Amino acid sequence: MKRTMIHTLAPLAAAGLLLAAVNAAAGGSAGATPTTAGGDTTTASTAGGSGTTAAGGETTTGSAPASPPTTGAEEGPTGDSLLDEVQARGSVLCGVRDDLAGFSTIDDAGDHVGFDADFCRVIAAAVLGDATAVEFVDVATDARFPALQSGEIDVLVRNTTWTASRDGNDGATFLHPTFYDGQQMMVAADSGYESIDDMDAAIVCVAAGTTTEGNVATEFERRGLTVDVQSFEDIDLVQEAFQAGQCDGWSSDGSQLASRQANYPDGPDSLVIFEDVFSKEPLTPAVIDGDTRWAQAVEWAIYATIQAEEFGITQDSAEADLTSDDPSIVQFLGGENAEGTTLDAGLGLAPDFAFQVVSQVGNYGEIFERNLAEIGITERGLNALWSEGGLQYAPPYR
Amino acid sequence: MTTAAPARRSSGRPPPWRDVRVLGWLLQLLVVGVVAAVLAWLYSNYRTNTSSQNLPTDFDFLDQPSGFPIPSSDFRQNQPVREALVEGFKNTLRLALTGIVLATVLGILLGVARLSNNVIVRSAARAFVEFVRNVPLIALILLAALGIVQGVFPSPNASWKVLNLGVFNVRGANVVWYEGANWKFLVAVASSALAGFLVVRWRRAVSDRTGRPARTGLFALPLAAAVLVAVWMVLGLGVTTPVVDGRRVHGGVTMTPAYLAALLALVAYTSSHIAEIVRGSIQAVPRGQGEAADALALSGFQRLWHVILPQALRVGLPPIGNQYLNLSKNSSLAAVISFPELTKITQLTVANRSPSVPAFALLLGIYLVISLALSLVVNLANRRLAIVER
Repeated sequence: MKRTMIHTLAPLAAAGLLLAAVNAAAGGSAGATPTTAGGDTTTASTAGGSGTTAAGGETTTGSAPASPPTTGAEEGPTGDSLLDEVQARGSVLCGVRDDLAGFSTIDDAGDHVGFDADFCRVIAAAVLGDATAVEFVDVATDARFPALQSGEIDVLVRNTTWTASRDGNDGATFLHPTFYDGQQMMVAADSGYESIDDMDAAIVCVAAGTTTEGNVATEFERRGLTVDVQSFEDIDLVQEAFQAGQCDGWSSDGSQLASRQANYPDGPDSLVIFEDVFSKEPLTPAVIDGDTRWAQAVEWAIYATIQAEEFGITQDSAEADLTSDDPSIVQFLGGENAEGTTLDAGLGLAPDFAFQVVSQVGNYGEIFERNLAEIGITERGLNALWSEGGLQYAPPYR
Repeated sequence: MTTAAPARRSSGRPPPWRDVRVLGWLLQLLVVGVVAAVLAWLYSNYRTNTSSQNLPTDFDFLDQPSGFPIPSSDFRQNQPVREALVEGFKNTLRLALTGIVLATVLGILLGVARLSNNVIVRSAARAFVEFVRNVPLIALILLAALGIVQGVFPSPNASWKVLNLGVFNVRGANVVWYEGANWKFLVAVASSALAGFLVVRWRRAVSDRTGRPARTGLFALPLAAAVLVAVWMVLGLGVTTPVVDGRRVHGGVTMTPAYLAALLALVAYTSSHIAEIVRGSIQAVPRGQGEAADALALSGFQRLWHVILPQALRVGLPPIGNQYLNLSKNSSLAAVISFPELTKITQLTVANRSPSVPAFALLLGIYLVISLALSLVVNLANRRLAIVER
């Protein structure tokens, strides 16, 4: 009896060991970063505190963070920021996907192209001055937050909706939404459905592991309808199921549906996307929690594209605008003002980071049109500049 | 001189650094120490990482809203993770138990067919078994989902109908089923089985006493059926059959495409393994037993049913039990086609903010319980069947 107990326990212990070893392999490589980041969370928050007080007087003192020795040991730990690590490494590890036309796909030459991919380049241009210094990491939907936490990626630019619980529980800090999206419903043109109200008891297919599934159920409940939500591993499998006739409807973010509709094998006309938008989906880049300096650097890289569009600076005009008559444009691009000085906002970025972003990647409008027009998203909608009735608004650069 | 040397050697024990027993103990302690140190290091790494990222390590997530609905169930996203796992558990059990029953039946048929005297039957069974047994299960599951159910099954308006009993199309299957409370169905089945069992015992007793053929099947089956129908009527159970209505199928029990595909692949895979066990067990029965049956002029069926299979089963039960365990664990692979069983649900809760280490630890614990429960049942059955030696 005792012997059999040992026999049953031995494989158990072995399994436990194996599990632990696997954990180590996954966490081991990350071990270096998070443990140092562990010391960082406390110091970073205090440093962030002193950073904000310093920011007020910063415009006068100029390059305060560039000369940390003045504050000595106090400022020292901020050197553990991902910002320094990225600059030392010389490349940005950017978490993206490889299967979403318009946002992030791989072209024939093997490069990542698309709206999200371009924002990775924006970050690289701002932080490193070289838009090509991006290492794209394709992360699965359910692996994206763990990848961020483990340090496998520096920044997540992957069609990710900013929600309170992801902000709070997933150890991620969301920055400025690059794309304001909303969930919609797509059906076959010959389905006979005119609106969601006709779809009682329908089978709606969605990609798993997202906010999408819950939104569909909530929307049908709100309308007093029943629904059977079928989820699939990824959006390609949803499309296969939809084509095979397993689904009555296909729900996802409007941008994704438009992208799928544009490339649908039976032609875009065989599908209809309903007008109703039944969720807010601000697609937002995210970085790891507790690293204020890195978060600010990435955030201002994104703002630079929006501010550039507002100023009317394009990829082609950036060079000429360096000597613009408008001092705020010159200051934004990192040119010298009348006194012969440049503004260092103390973000840990080069003074001309905005120039690098615009001249190498383009302004927000250019990035939008370059990538999204071809997949059928021609209306800017909520993504227009604030001055044109949209939501894209950058804080002043001064 | 020849006596002195052995005396010296045996007189005292060798010094500790050369004593095999001491060294043995030290080595064992060392191994245990290293293992414990590695585990402690991993655990402290885990604690440091989680606390630096403010990630929870407790099981409070079980009470959080899950954030996703579960396909083909009443489960909604505002219900807690705990209840999502219960749904996943039910789906795992449903897949595993149905799979075990079907794989056993198909496996025995295939195993017997492997030994058939008919060349076509024998080769067909062999081809199937050798093919399915030697490919990865996950490939079979993907083939069943994307190739067979999605690719071969007809669209809803051209559904395959098996009489009024089953409807199959690309959206899954609806099969005739009982209508009414579950306990009523269980009571009906249990009372029918009990009736059959009592009749079998009675016939055996008569046969032992009088020497006439027992004919258990002839007596037990009709009576069990009669009891089933009677209890069914008394309890007010109904029968629901599938009816095609445009794009939809109403009535019967619904199997989603993912369930159907997973069941198909798991049953095919496990039955091919069971078939080999059955074939091996039958061949393990001494040749003389079959020859003895022939000498008694038993029919082919009687020979198999009364002489060969009872002995083969004793040999085959433990490995077949292993296959049951494998099937229940392999059911987790249905996650790749998004069948909402335990693994898939855990993946979903982790994607929806549950902490991964506690969530997967819990998942492993649940599978462990399922496996231990199954092996308990198999061991009990094995103990009953084992030859009692005197």
